[in-house]
Amino acid sequence: MSSKDKILTAVKASQPEQRELPPLEPPTEGRPADPAKQFVEVLEAIGGRAYIVSGWERIGMILKEAYTADKRVVSGCAGLGFMMESIDDPHSLENVELAVLEGHFGVAENGACWITEDRMMERALPFIAQNLALVIHKKDIVPTMYEAYQRIADAEYGFGTFIAGPSKTADIEQSLVLGAHGPRSMTVFLIDEGMSDAGFY
Amino acid sequence: MSKQDHAALADAFNKDESRVDWHDQTLWFVREKRDKAVNKVPEWEWLRETASQIKNNVLSNLSEYLTQFEAQAVQNGVVVHWAADANEHNEIVYGLLKKHGVDRMVKSKSMLTEECHLNEFLAEKGVDVVDTDLGERVVQLAGEPPSHIVLPCIHKKKEEIGEIFHEHLGTPAGNADPQFLTHAARLHLREKFLTRKAALTGVNFAVAETGEFVVCTNEGNADMGAHLADIHIACMGIEKLIPERKHLGVFLRLLTRSATGQPVTTYSSHFKKPRPGQEMHIVLVDNGRSTQLGKKDFRNSLKCIRCAACFNTCPVYRRSGGHSYHTAVAGPIGSILSPNLDMKKYADLPFASTLCGSCSNVCPVKIDIHDQLYKWRQVIVQEGYAPVAKKLMMKTMTWVLSHPSVYHTAGKAGRWFMLNTPFTVNNGLNPWWKGREMPEAPRESFGQWYKRNRK
Ligand code: SF4
Repeated sequence: MSSKDKILTAVKASQPEQRELPPLEPPTEGRPADPAKQFVEVLEAIGGRAYIVSGWERIGMILKEAYTADKRVVSGCAGLGFMMESIDDPHSLENVELAVLEGHFGVAENGACWITEDRMMERALPFIAQNLALVIHKKDIVPTMYEAYQRIADAEYGFGTFIAGPSKTADIEQSLVLGAHGPRSMTVFLIDEGMSDAGFY
Repeated sequence: MSKQDHAALADAFNKDESRVDWHDQTLWFVREKRDKAVNKVPEWEWLRETASQIKNNVLSNLSEYLTQFEAQAVQNGVVVHWAADANEHNEIVYGLLKKHGVDRMVKSKSMLTEECHLNEFLAEKGVDVVDTDLGERVVQLAGEPPSHIVLPCIHKKKEEIGEIFHEHLGTPAGNADPQFLTHAARLHLREKFLTRKAALTGVNFAVAETGEFVVCTNEGNADMGAHLADIHIACMGIEKLIPERKHLGVFLRLLTRSATGQPVTTYSSHFKKPRPGQEMHIVLVDNGRSTQLGKKDFRNSLKCIRCAACFNTCPVYRRSGGHSYHTAVAGPIGSILSPNLDMKKYADLPFASTLCGSCSNVCPVKIDIHDQLYKWRQVIVQEGYAPVAKKLMMKTMTWVLSHPSVYHTAGKAGRWFMLNTPFTVNNGLNPWWKGREMPEAPRESFGQWYKRNRK
């Protein structure tokens, strides 16, 4: 008998009697009135940064101010106008200073953004870059992971991930250090189309 | 039993009292962070109950879910392997590396590979394994096993880590700054990520419906390894399955809040298909799990999501250290899982507890941990280890009673233990077992109760 058959037979013989799956809709008491506000607060608490912006132009300006031309910035966002050429080998991304990618939505309760590989250019990119910026729309912030999985329940992807803040560790005496292996900083741009930039110029 | 049982190893750990205090407080700090995070979620108790019921359903349909998972994964282009025991698991992993001519591999956290002693097995075959989780790398360089499933080097002081890094990574002697040491590890491990062709990861959850699996890390080391490697091997116990993707919404809300008090890990990565040109393998491991599933009193232990909340809250764990459990998964849950693997060797572990019930209270999937520990004690006696059990009980009691903070930190339930523990074991074991009623584990902690009733 193969190990597969052996295991399945043993499991089947040991299984307790059928138990039903519970309903998944959580009680709604205590939901945030303003998910975007909660998202920003939680993201900052876990070491990330948030900018609420009027659109892509504004994001481009902020990035130009923060990153000089000698730094390698890789973008997968059509809206930024400087889409990166295709990447042949993920190892070549080692010296990327900043990756700017478009996420699908954010989650207010934990500051995470969901992004799938079709928006990553290369699976390794959001992890290997020294700094990461994700762009989502302010309206696309859901209160909890329950709503998050409602959104992606039937989504097709080969790889997808929730990213909540910069890479971090507290393995040395519980001292929090940002930038374990992955990005040392994580910025989320929240596009609010209804917003005016007048005050910024 | 191993040469040294829990009580003896705990005594050794307790030689340095200030160090034990420090260990105790560090873990209590993590427990407090958990409480803060939990109190921010009004539906916490609903989440625990729902997670527990989902896991009950998983256990009652495990063979069907496993079959479904395999079919989906294969359809996604993943190769699925089945391992009946630790040795078969190790052989499968080695076989894959050999086939690709690979003798160096990066590995992210996987308690299963600790359970199977994969690193030692591969070392003998000449394969170099680098553990990439910072805490795991620290203990690997120190030549020790992890002492905690979430915080592998929680027993090490930063000065000791500085010394280990000085010796192995060439950092300046005497530098023990966590920021500096983490940066040194970052540089050291980046080189490994960039040069290794094979990566092994653990699995936190596997979805029967879609064939995908989810790996949660804060450091990003699982992703760095997997996305840069030509071959990704993911190893999982068969109990890691959940029915549908949407069930992740329940477990991801519970896992990290229970573990470290964060709202979620930095990365919750969903691996469904290999990337073009890459090979992805899943090894499904039984290693005693189907046996445990057949044991009515103990099968609930398979619901565990390895958050380690029961470790951090356990007065015995905090004051005896992870290594005193002499097993891969220490703490209260390890004391239930290990006797299933080898009852003789781990007969001491169900006794390494005050049965205060704090573990059952914090467990995010509502495992009746302290009840199961109590039941293991009875089984151990029934199986003919009574003299051993008697000795162990005395040793544990002596140990607990001579370390007052163990039962003090256990709080009210600890005082209950004091009142109800016969001080002389001359009466035999019966008064202990017959004469005691297990306290009903409170549904909420005092803190939660207070918060609710203060309004
Ligand atoms: S038994 Fe419960 S509390 Fe302990 S590690 Fe497992 S899930 Fe967490």
